[in-house]
Amino acid sequence: MMRKSLGALLLAAVASTMLSACSTGQGSTESSGNGGASGGVTTIEFWAAPNPTQQAYWQEMAKAYESEHSNVKINVSAIKESPTSEASIQSAIAAKSAPTMSENINRGFGAQLADSKALVPLDTLDGFQDIVKERNMNSTIEPWKFADGHQYVLPIYSNAMLFGWRLDVLKELGYNEPPQTYSEIVELTKKLKDKYGDQKYLWAKADLADPTAWKRWFDFYMLYNAASGGNKFIEGSRFTGDRKAGEEVLAFMDDLRKANGLLARQVTDPFENGVGVFTDVGPWTFTTWKEKYPNLKYGDNFALTMPPVPDGMDPKDSKTFADTKGLVIYASATKEQQAAAIDFIKWVYSDAANDAKWFEQTNLPPARDDLKTNDSFKAILDKQPELKPYAENVPNAIPPMDNAKYNDLQTIIGTEAFNKVVKGQISPAEGWANMQKAIEGALQ
Amino acid sequence: MDHRNNKMGWLFTSPYLLYSLIFFFGPLIWSFFLSVTDWNLIAPTFNLVGIENFANALKSPSVHSAFWVTYKFMIIFVPIVTVLATAVAVLVHGLPRFKSLFLIGFFLPYLSSGVVSSLIAKGLLSYTSPMNVFLRKMGLDIDWLGTPLSALGIVGLILAWKFTGYYALILTSGLESIDKEVYEAAAIDGVTDRQRFWRITLPLLYPSLYTTLILAFGVTFGIFTEVYQLTGGGPNNATNTWQMEIFKQAFTNLQAGYASAVALLASVATFISIFIIRKFLEIWGKRNGWV
Repeated sequence: MMRKSLGALLLAAVASTMLSACSTGQGSTESSGNGGASGGVTTIEFWAAPNPTQQAYWQEMAKAYESEHSNVKINVSAIKESPTSEASIQSAIAAKSAPTMSENINRGFGAQLADSKALVPLDTLDGFQDIVKERNMNSTIEPWKFADGHQYVLPIYSNAMLFGWRLDVLKELGYNEPPQTYSEIVELTKKLKDKYGDQKYLWAKADLADPTAWKRWFDFYMLYNAASGGNKFIEGSRFTGDRKAGEEVLAFMDDLRKANGLLARQVTDPFENGVGVFTDVGPWTFTTWKEKYPNLKYGDNFALTMPPVPDGMDPKDSKTFADTKGLVIYASATKEQQAAAIDFIKWVYSDAANDAKWFEQTNLPPARDDLKTNDSFKAILDKQPELKPYAENVPNAIPPMDNAKYNDLQTIIGTEAFNKVVKGQISPAEGWANMQKAIEGALQ
Repeated sequence: MDHRNNKMGWLFTSPYLLYSLIFFFGPLIWSFFLSVTDWNLIAPTFNLVGIENFANALKSPSVHSAFWVTYKFMIIFVPIVTVLATAVAVLVHGLPRFKSLFLIGFFLPYLSSGVVSSLIAKGLLSYTSPMNVFLRKMGLDIDWLGTPLSALGIVGLILAWKFTGYYALILTSGLESIDKEVYEAAAIDGVTDRQRFWRITLPLLYPSLYTTLILAFGVTFGIFTEVYQLTGGGPNNATNTWQMEIFKQAFTNLQAGYASAVALLASVATFISIFIIRKFLEIWGKRNGWV
């Protein structure tokens, strides 16, 4: 009898220990899980991007907000990358431990979440229109409207992706400024290869042959947006790609391949080390360059341009891809938490100084219409002139598609067309046709 | 007495049984349920789709590649790691002193992060790395991670580097357990070194070798980090493992139901493969009179 009791006790102890280890801690205290309201204080969980700079920025904002709003407590923590921030968010939603709000959400992932009713349509919350007005972002936010007419993501920053050119190498080849059209670039590639052989390539980047969906944002979409004048490619669930522009982009890549100007291989920092003379550059790069490659000076040995355009097109009309991420509020949050979250966002963006602080700390251009004209940003742009072209081109940058199947669709661009053309396995016209057929099939 | 022993046996195994119930059996049931739905885990609603996910998975080219890639990794990884681990074990076993120190040294890669070792491999395989510059001067221009065979080989080698020390540890303990008197008797009988290895060491090492082989075969069904970091499953799905496929479907495409179906198919493939491999190893042992 004694042994039986002892056994049962041991079993119960082990079971309770293991089960408590499984607990998410939800509902135990006011500050646990996904937050809540207790004693008149609404607690919200804010997941910041998994980098120290952005996390520090939001912690600072939260602290400042709390000092003026004693009825709200904001817990800021970084999104875990296990192995990606998207996977962590999905796991958290599935485990009913989603935060109240998070940043670092791209439009495609936003579409997947919105499709699953995991997000609050921000335009249905009181105060959202005030944010758009006070932050001066009417034009910037317009293309963020989803197919159902709602706004699920508030863009924080918008990087108009630019191409970097190694000016020092270009000067050696007799160029004072980067070429802007396809034929000019192919001609430059021939000169580059004549001079350097396999020492230098026009575009050295392993991602060119990698079908991973998001990688198309930084090659195909930049060129395609420029060639098509910002055509939407996919609208809702319909393929609306511009065949002529698409084939021109693929033919350009094919010409570069034929001229031996592409190196789709693993290379350590190819542009920085001068193996490649042309590559996509985002403004986040400059912080790394200052530490790791201090010799790279804007206007001295590297230049930034909008994507090149097909012959016969005015380079001034070039468009590009907008690498842009934003804030969302999760549907699992309580009404009080949602109200507190939108009020916090409104408070942050009611003062342009907060956006200026963001810009200064992260180098990521705030998603607003007045970046070029608002004096709050002038000092930053004067201090870091390499950020000016990004600020200037915010209106020329097209955000990614809002289709929940974006991952499949963008993988198809790579597997059926772009990667194959880069490897010389298919003609541009055939690649485009195969891609269109596969995308239309996937959209059904 | 036996009855009481049985009770005590159940009592002492109960933590593990409970652990299995919660962390293996529970998720297995959950996975079965998910696999017959179109749920993505976050949508408020879902539909029961029967065997549709399984049917789609069986038709999917990327699932086919995951199936075959596992066996390709087996062909590369298992012989290399077995030979290396045996060599390390024999070498360490023959050392007069500091055996433990050397074994710990070889064991360290097992503790290293797959992410870090993959990043180091990326640097070593860079187009501009000294090795590749040298090879190009020799007329060899190899796209290590962009060619299916070499990409498989690189991942296989990284895994072999990682697991050699661990398996060597098991094999060394096997070697240490062989009675020295057997070797002394064989020496008196005038056996050669070759005969000594094949007729004494290998048969007596068979239980340890059996363990390491089963573990090594098992590893190939769970490859993820190195592939995720180095190749992303490419080129052209040439390194797309079961785990990569499950991850892509569940967390990139948000198709948890379909991913569960793929995971269950992977479990079946793993179970059957390990069962067959075990049988072969047992037949091999029996035929040679080692068991």
